[in-house]
Amino acid sequence: MNDTRRSRVVLGVLLVAALAMITIDYRGGDSSPLRGLRGAGEAVFGPVERASAAVVRPVGNGLDAVFNAPGERRRADRLQRENQRLRDQLRTTRIDQGKAAQLDRLLGSAGLGGYKIVAANVISAGQGLEDTVTIDAGSGSGIHTDMTVMSADGLVGRVTRVGPATATVLLATDVNSSIGARLEDSKEIGIVQGRGRRGLGDGGRTPIRFQLLDANAPVKVGQRLVTLGSQGDRPYVPGVPIGTVERIDAPGGGLTRTAYVQPFVHFTSLDVVAVVVAPPKSDPRDAVLPPTPTPSTPPPAPSPSGSPGPGRKAGKSSSAAGPSPKPSPTP
Amino acid sequence: MLNAPEASPTGRRVISAVVIVVALVLQVSVANRLPLPGGVTPDLVLLSVVALALVSGSLTGCVAGFCAGLAADIVPPADHTIGRYALVYCIIGYVCGIAAAEMDRQSMVPFFAVAAGALLGTVAYAAIGMLLGDPRASWTIVARMVPLQVLYDVIASPFVVWAVLRATRRYERPERGRDRFSVPAARYRAMSGRTRL
Repeated sequence: MNDTRRSRVVLGVLLVAALAMITIDYRGGDSSPLRGLRGAGEAVFGPVERASAAVVRPVGNGLDAVFNAPGERRRADRLQRENQRLRDQLRTTRIDQGKAAQLDRLLGSAGLGGYKIVAANVISAGQGLEDTVTIDAGSGSGIHTDMTVMSADGLVGRVTRVGPATATVLLATDVNSSIGARLEDSKEIGIVQGRGRRGLGDGGRTPIRFQLLDANAPVKVGQRLVTLGSQGDRPYVPGVPIGTVERIDAPGGGLTRTAYVQPFVHFTSLDVVAVVVAPPKSDPRDAVLPPTPTPSTPPPAPSPSGSPGPGRKAGKSSSAAGPSPKPSPTP
Repeated sequence: MLNAPEASPTGRRVISAVVIVVALVLQVSVANRLPLPGGVTPDLVLLSVVALALVSGSLTGCVAGFCAGLAADIVPPADHTIGRYALVYCIIGYVCGIAAAEMDRQSMVPFFAVAAGALLGTVAYAAIGMLLGDPRASWTIVARMVPLQVLYDVIASPFVVWAVLRATRRYERPERGRDRFSVPAARYRAMSGRTRL
C-alpha cells in the first residue's frame, strides 16, 4: 500500500519530467537546450553501437551467406567495385548521354571540382515511425550536418546530426525528407518526398513520391529522377540518381501532379554508403567550369539563371531546391 | 541508472539497467535493420520494459520505463522530440506493474499482458506524435503500422520475456541454485507467482 502510493508519486514526477522535456524540446526546435542531451547520447551510445555492429555484422553476414549464397556473391562483387563506382558516379550517370548533356556538365564539374567521399557502414537504424540510420563515421572523419549521403546505386539521404564517431542520416524515404529533383530528359523539376517508414506504399516498392511543380508537364512511367542540387551543394549535391517513376496519379484538380517513385537504393538493406564531403572553401569549380555561363535548366531558382555575373554562379544557379520545398513557380 | 528508492538489492537495479541497454542496442543495431515485411520491426525495448514491470512491480516498472524511454530518445539514430518514448514507456511500465500484481498464476496471462502493453505503447507513441503535429505520425502511416507492430511485438514477446526473466532471476531468488535445465515455462510460472509479494 505504501509501495503503491510511493510508486504513484514517482510516476507523477516522471510523467511531469517527460512532459516538460517534450515541451522544451518541441518549443526549442533545432536550438533546444536538450540537444546537448542527444549529443551525450551520441557520445555514449555511438561507440556501443559501433562495437555491437562489429559483432553483429559477421554473424549477419554468415547467416546471409548460408541463406542467400548467390546474392552474397553478387554483393561481394559489388562491394569490391564500390570505391570505383562511387567515384564514377560523381562524374557520370547512367542516364542517356545524348539526352543529358547538360546534366553531364553539372556532374562533370562536380567530379572535377574535387568532391571527396567518406565511405561508411550503416550500424543502426531508427525506431518507431522515423526512417533514420546511424553510420560509423562522424566529425572525426570530416563529416558535418547537411551532407549528401549516397550509395553505389543512388541517393540515400542527408546527414542531420554528427557525433564524434557516428552520424545520423535522414533517409530519403522519411516523411520529413524533401529533396529537389528533376526528371531525366524533360528536366521538369519537382520535389521528392518520403512516404514514411520504409516499405510502406505498394508493398515497399514505391517508398517515395515525386511532386511535379508544373501540373501540365509531361511525365511517363519509367522516367528516371536525379537530384536537382541545393544552394551551395548543401545538403544535396546535383545529379545523384534517385529512382524510376513507377506510377502516376491521375491528374486531379491540384496544383501539382504526383508520381510514385521506386528508388534505385534498397533502403531495407543499406550497408555501405558514402558521404559526399563538401568541397573546400576555395571552390575549385572556378577553374573547371566552362567560361560561358550557360543556363543549364529551366530556371528553378529564384534568381534568373543567366544573369548573375561570375561563371561559377551560373553553374550553381541551376541548383536551388533545398531540403525544404522552396517557393515554387506555381502555375 | 535506476535509482529507485526501493528496498531491493542493488544487483537488481544494475541488472535492469543492463537489460535496458542491451535491449536498446539490439533494437537499433539488429532489430531495426531486419528487412521484415511491412517495414515494421518489433519493439524490444518496450517488451523489456513490460517484462521488467511484470517481474518487479509498478515502481521499478515506471522508473525503468522512463530511463529506457529517455535512452531511446537520445540513442543516435533517434530523430524525434526528446521525451516521447520516456513518457510512453513510463506509463507502460507503471500500468504493467499494476497489472502484474493482480495477475494469475496461469502462464498465458503474462503474454496477453505483453500484447496489451505493446498495443498500448504503440498507440500512445503515435498519439503523442499526432498531438505534436509530427508528419511521420500521420493517420495513413499509423493505421498501417500499428497492427503490424503489435503482431511483431507479440511474436517477439516470448523470447524477450524469457530472456529478461532469465537475466533477472539470479537476483530474484539468490537462495536457489541455478537449475539451468528446468523448463522455461515452469520457471516463468514460478516467477510470475513470486511477483505477488
